Amino acid sequence: MAQTIPSRRQFLAAVGNLASASWIAMNWPDIAFAAEHAGHDMKGMAGEPSPPSTLTTLSVAEAADIDAIANQIVPGGTSPGAHDAKVIYFIDSALGTFFAAQLPNMRQGLAEFKSAYAVRFGADKPFASAPEAQQIAWLKEVDKTPFFTAVRRLTLLGLIALPKYGGNHDNIGWKLMGVEDNHFWEPPFGYYDKDYPGFEPYPGTKPYTA
Amino acid sequence: MPTKTMQRKIYKPSEIVDFIVIGSGASGGIMARELSRAGNSVVVMEQGPRMGPGDFEHDELKYRNLSGITNNPNTNPQTFRSDPNQKATRVAGRNPLTYARIVGGSSAHFNANFWRLHEIDFIEGSKLGPIEGASLVDWPITYAELEPYYTKVEWEVGVSGLAGASPFDPWRSKPYPMPPLPVKSSGVLFERGGRKLGLHPYPAPMAINSQVYKGRPPCAQCGLCGGFGCEVMAKSSSVWTVIPEAEATGRCEVRSDSYVFRIGMDQAGRATGVHFFDNKKVEHFQKARAVVVCANGSETPKLLLNSATPQFANGLANSSGKVGRYLMFNKGGGVAARFENPLNEYKGANVTRVIHDFYDSDPKRGFYGGGGFDARSGGPLTWGQSVPDGTPTWGPKFKEYLESYNYWMTCAGHGTSLAQETNRVDIDPELKDAWGVPAMRVTYKDHADDIKHAKWMVERGKEIMDAAGAVQIDPGEVGAANGGVHLLGTCRMGNNSDTSVIDKYHRTHDVKNLFLCDGSSMVTSGRGQPTQTIEALAFRAGDHIAKFARRGEI
Ligand SMILES: Cc1cc2nc3c(=O)[nH]c(=O)nc-3n(C[C@H](O)[C@H](O)[C@H](O)COP(=O)(O)OP(=O)(O)OC[C@H]3O[C@@H](n4cnc5c(N)ncnc54)[C@H](O)[C@@H]3O)c2cc1C
Repeated sequence: MAQTIPSRRQFLAAVGNLASASWIAMNWPDIAFAAEHAGHDMKGMAGEPSPPSTLTTLSVAEAADIDAIANQIVPGGTSPGAHDAKVIYFIDSALGTFFAAQLPNMRQGLAEFKSAYAVRFGADKPFASAPEAQQIAWLKEVDKTPFFTAVRRLTLLGLIALPKYGGNHDNIGWKLMGVEDNHFWEPPFGYYDKDYPGFEPYPGTKPYTA
Repeated sequence: MPTKTMQRKIYKPSEIVDFIVIGSGASGGIMARELSRAGNSVVVMEQGPRMGPGDFEHDELKYRNLSGITNNPNTNPQTFRSDPNQKATRVAGRNPLTYARIVGGSSAHFNANFWRLHEIDFIEGSKLGPIEGASLVDWPITYAELEPYYTKVEWEVGVSGLAGASPFDPWRSKPYPMPPLPVKSSGVLFERGGRKLGLHPYPAPMAINSQVYKGRPPCAQCGLCGGFGCEVMAKSSSVWTVIPEAEATGRCEVRSDSYVFRIGMDQAGRATGVHFFDNKKVEHFQKARAVVVCANGSETPKLLLNSATPQFANGLANSSGKVGRYLMFNKGGGVAARFENPLNEYKGANVTRVIHDFYDSDPKRGFYGGGGFDARSGGPLTWGQSVPDGTPTWGPKFKEYLESYNYWMTCAGHGTSLAQETNRVDIDPELKDAWGVPAMRVTYKDHADDIKHAKWMVERGKEIMDAAGAVQIDPGEVGAANGGVHLLGTCRMGNNSDTSVIDKYHRTHDVKNLFLCDGSSMVTSGRGQPTQTIEALAFRAGDHIAKFARRGEI
């Protein structure tokens, strides 16, 4: 379900419903700040750096192959996939920063992937521009390799992590999973708690409250 | 809660304070409050930074994958081995023992499941022991001795729940101060399945506000508890509860970014203070009349072992040789289950229903072990890295699996780990951290009964989810433990100084003015949620230590 109300305003309303007025007065600045900085509703925020959207670590050719692999892991089609979610910018930025230690292995893995692919399908055309059926056939042969496993892991992280890291563009990853971009929720949360009749005590027990 | 304008007390390192408390987590925060309220001057040494509500983010990548508020394995490495004859090695990208390195410690980032131990937990040694290969012994205290402090925890820090709802609950002197949190779909299904099987699911006790309590708001149901700090302060973490109260006495300084690397000792065998690094890695010495270590089940033994002197050549307070031994986690097993309609488990506090029918160990099963189950979930970023048997790991069918996220829940079993002498935290002979301090080495192998019990739990989890109407069940794998977040037992309490490190008042057997109180004090593992017990122990120890101080017995 699409959320149309800005999360911050909703959050304010919820705190207003649940907490005492004096509590809000005392703590509002911290809470408002927390809500803003908790990573939600990024689009409306001034001063936040925009997510990585150019390549800074991988070469264009390297990125094209990894992007193609990622897009077979989570393909597009009737709904957007890894390519649409710009997962490659997450991967590129991750390998240049917090996962930089993995870059040499990734490069070596990619080189082996490419040369094995060239032996099989010829060196003239890279994996990235191969027809889909050929990409899938080849990935089926290599999907147990550490390189593929690493690309898969990064693809998923890039799909689902906060958009500020470069992937999950337009919340595509979250939308795919049905996750709404909100700071808080209220019951009912799902289908099964909608009509919960309340907790029924067991024979012989006497629940009591303060 | 102190207002923002309150002046925080600051002591000079050269001033001799009454107490240094090392660690500001679940136990350290309470210890600081109790000792400072009793009139003592207190400095809390916390190696991590102090974060305010606005500093916590809903950033799963940072907090789950990039050690946002936990130890960075590059700067604070640990080594691991499962066999004491092997050389321990570093594990790529992660540390085996995990806790939060911030003011509030792991109470800031825990899931806040809050279970009391039951009466049986304190006397399993005499009821069920001995067990081959294990050291299952009685605690030097009973449930009855700790009960007033369990109640104190619930009312002082704030716990929501429904007293008397579980027929298996131990007796209590007071109800919870707050009603339970609203039930989630996972809780409803879990309750449905449990009741069908004749079990007794009940509202989960949680250290999370369900209403305004002591000036803090109710849970905003953001869904990110485990691994995250609570930016609305609804989770009853030390940083929002007892620490501000300790500071409000005007006698307690919480010194963040202060990493204690050695406890100072004099010729007479008394602690004189602590050596620590400030945030610029500059060394200082804080003087004190007594030291209380609340640094958790991993760091407390490390610090004692790193504080060896010629007089205490095997490490401080280690005449028994037991410092660091009997490390316990909470082994468990469970299942993931898929239902026909969306549950949306990423919304709302982690757990809303619990089952304790299988709490007691039952000799008829042929192995030791007991535990509790709960209904829970993981945040979005935990999804998809592994798949159920038969689901492809990539391609259109995998994408469909990703899309099913909201239809799944977890039925998690939390159980026992037997204390074994060979399972331990000690010091790696070579590795040092970024401060040059010798790093910890972890040696751990599950007891055969722990594994059998965990597998047994998987089977019970399947039954509960099947009875709940699951359309698909994905049983969890029971593998060998290679780390944990419940860090227990490594400086156990006991009456005998040959077999334990601290007495029943948390004083070390060897050093009169050195006390230890945290997860390391526990004698058995309990069934999964140790923190309420750790906090009850801290309130109790705080009472006794303050009394000793008043009577000049330190
Ligand atoms: C993700 C996660 C979820 C959890 N969920 C639950 C749950 O639902 N229920 C439950 O009961 N338990 C849970 N736990 C476990 C719980 O957090 C711990 O049992 C509890 O916090 C331990 O309390 P403690 O006082 O022993 O140590 P901690 O709370 O870990 O506090 C120790 C403090 O000491 C500081 N310190 C350590 N060494 C030094 C030093 N040398 N100098 C200065 N400071 C130092 C640390 O930085 C830390 O702040 C969870 C843990 C994790 C990691």
